[in-house]
Amino acid sequence: MKLTAGFAATLLIGTMLAAGAANAKSLVYCSEGSPENFTPAINTTGTSFDAARPVFDTLVRFTPGTTQTEPALSEKTDVSEDGLTLTFHLRKGVKFHSGVNGFTPTRDFNADDVLWSFGRQQDPAHPYAKVSGGAYDYFNDMGMPDLLEKISKTDDNTVVIKLKQPNAPILANLAMDFATIESAEYADFLLKKGTPEQFDQIPVGTGPFSFVDYQKDAVIRFKANPDYWGGKPKVDDLVYAITPDASARYAKMKAGECQIMGYPNPADIPTIAKDDTIDLVQQAGLNIGYLAFNAQKPPFDKPEVRMALAMAIDRDAILKEVYQGAGQKAKNPIPPTMWSYDNDAKDIAYDPAAAKAALEKAGVKDLETDLWWMPVSRPYNPNAKRMAEMMQADLEKVGIHAKLVSYEWGEYRKRAQAGEHQMALLGWTGDNGDPDNFLAVLLGCGKDGKPNGNNIPKWCDQKFQDDVNKAATLSDQAERTKLYVDAQKIVDAQVPWLNVAHSTVFEPVSKKVTGYKVSPLGSHVFYNVDVAE
Amino acid sequence: MLRFLIRRLALTIPTFVALMFVTFMLLRLVPGDPIEVRRGERGISAERLADLRHQMGLDQPIWKQFLDYVWSILHGDFGTSIVSHAPVLQEFWTLFPATLELSICAALFSIILGVPAGVFAAVKRGSFYDQALMTSALTGYSMPIFWWGLVLIFFMSNTLHLTPVSGRVDLIKFYYPAHTGLLLIDSLIWGPKGAFIDVVRHLILPTIVLGTLPLAVVARMTRSSMLEVLEEDYVRTARAKGLSPFRVVSMHALRNALIPVVTTIGLQVGTLLAGAVQTENIFSWPGIGKWLIGSITRRDYPALQGGIMLIAIMVIAFNLLIDMTLGIINPKVRNER
Repeated sequence: MKLTAGFAATLLIGTMLAAGAANAKSLVYCSEGSPENFTPAINTTGTSFDAARPVFDTLVRFTPGTTQTEPALSEKTDVSEDGLTLTFHLRKGVKFHSGVNGFTPTRDFNADDVLWSFGRQQDPAHPYAKVSGGAYDYFNDMGMPDLLEKISKTDDNTVVIKLKQPNAPILANLAMDFATIESAEYADFLLKKGTPEQFDQIPVGTGPFSFVDYQKDAVIRFKANPDYWGGKPKVDDLVYAITPDASARYAKMKAGECQIMGYPNPADIPTIAKDDTIDLVQQAGLNIGYLAFNAQKPPFDKPEVRMALAMAIDRDAILKEVYQGAGQKAKNPIPPTMWSYDNDAKDIAYDPAAAKAALEKAGVKDLETDLWWMPVSRPYNPNAKRMAEMMQADLEKVGIHAKLVSYEWGEYRKRAQAGEHQMALLGWTGDNGDPDNFLAVLLGCGKDGKPNGNNIPKWCDQKFQDDVNKAATLSDQAERTKLYVDAQKIVDAQVPWLNVAHSTVFEPVSKKVTGYKVSPLGSHVFYNVDVAE
Repeated sequence: MLRFLIRRLALTIPTFVALMFVTFMLLRLVPGDPIEVRRGERGISAERLADLRHQMGLDQPIWKQFLDYVWSILHGDFGTSIVSHAPVLQEFWTLFPATLELSICAALFSIILGVPAGVFAAVKRGSFYDQALMTSALTGYSMPIFWWGLVLIFFMSNTLHLTPVSGRVDLIKFYYPAHTGLLLIDSLIWGPKGAFIDVVRHLILPTIVLGTLPLAVVARMTRSSMLEVLEEDYVRTARAKGLSPFRVVSMHALRNALIPVVTTIGLQVGTLLAGAVQTENIFSWPGIGKWLIGSITRRDYPALQGGIMLIAIMVIAFNLLIDMTLGIINPKVRNER
């Protein structure tokens, strides 16, 4: 009798599971590579951030498809009048994922988790500070150690961050992946088990999906978090099918083996556009590809020479040949998807005759120079070598003899950052959608008047610096916009670099998918996505 | 036999030392720095760079780094990946079954088709069949793996819908934990209904792509070896005795003709592993090849060094096994110096 009852129960559960399985909705994303691990604080690549994002939340987050921030784990954020104190009112009743790696949380998310997550990156004495290599690149790169005075809690649901100086981009920084909030309780649980490194391999968060498993180089599985504070996701299973080859990713899309893919091959774009089962979603990327003139080396120290060189280069031809339609000509150092973009800026027209005359007027004749090109393909410059060759030919027409130079990628950057070049191709992809992340990082100088490391043109301008510095201390976006537009006008007049292009980001999405938004930040977010049966 | 074995084993020691030295030095001589590679476009302060170098032991003199590396390997420690922070040996064993399964299938594919094709071509020497087979073998031999893979995906998967595009198994339908890592076995024993067939379907294209080159080599080798043997006196004698052509070929000629073919197959292990690097990338096959390519891109020294060493150990061990097998089959080999 017992056996029969047991059998019946098993049959019932089996039937229910089978029914559940039959109705379960799955979304497969063909991703481009394997994550380094699942802790954004120690990651550096977009691939790794994408892999951890379904599991985690941040205090504030980017509204999908935009660079604006909105509340997430912090329901409400107060900024003091002097801009030095930020108070985060944490959302109540938020649950950490249960059942992952044998961990069952005994409490809801609270201020301790926030302190723990930042503490790991900030405090060398933190029990997890040295786990998994202990390098917190983004935290350091975003200047957090110099910015944060103190992080403390007032009570379980209130966290206060005190800054050393006012910093407007701080909220955008806190929406970045490195500021992900993790479970202090899970960390303790693993520490007691003696396996702290599992913390970075088997993630537990509060996000819309909980981690199921990762088979290296093959697949990452997540399942919907039924208790998600924002409501259960629309799909039950989220699968990342790791497919590094772009052609293979597209082939999988065509075969219906995945519904969304990242980073299509530029050569495949026209074919994908014609595919009637796929929507080719596109957006200007949050990036800039530029040709930097070393403003500390004559004759590039003269703005009129830089302007002449800029006029000598035919960017329309470059757009056609190098970007093959997947890019738009840049007239400002920041991309048009970013707030404070100077729409009124006048683009530098291609005019070799005027360029030649201007060079003669500046006393530059038969100039021998170098022109550096990056040995790697980047989103903002798919083929730097070809670009350099075209620029070389254009410059030759106005009497400038450019020698093409390249180095191994790491070496290239190191030397360019040290200012060894005369002209160098490089670019940037934004991290947080804040103009400060372009203008201050790429063209900024220190208090000593020396250019920052990422300032490849090695160009410093006091008025520009004052505008950018002041904008970073204000919280009013309209006021900041005015200053950033002003700063862009200075750059446009001084031409420390030639704005070449902003690449277009394409994402093939199956027509069955609804609710997916391409992020200008290059991240992939699947929370709101649904798949038609 | 024992002396032969000891001699062969002794030969492997300098091979290992040389290999360790070459892998270690080559990686350090090629430009590129694991820290710089991780940084994207960002600059890094000199202090931070020094700190990271120190953490990774990269600030030590090269000879010290090399000695530490040899010492660790002698203790079975192949290091920790700079990128994932997982032990290299653990990563290797997680991924190796996928490469092993694919390589075995490709080897079987090349033997099962290559030997009969070679025999047939030799028997029909000079005929249309012989020429057609040998032309095909030459084509297969010169076919770039990358292109061949994409052509097959286009026709078999996207046009005819006969095979899946990539991966080892349908990720949605057949989800079950790995046991041995060899999915043919796992799916047969633990997988849900239909999983085994699905795994086989996923194996078809990568097996063909990886097996094409060895298939061509085996077919050509079998043909030439067979032609030689068919000229031997004992074959003529067998024919003269009135044995059927099938018996002459299968019983008398083939056995002897296969000796150099076995050696060739042994040598193909290296080819298979080299081919696996490309094949795995095309078909998103989560094996050692794909892992090594990723490690090169990220300048993950420990993963790359450890991975290459472990593969070398496999190849050397396999070749040793082949030598011993040949030594058993053919006593003449044992006395060769």
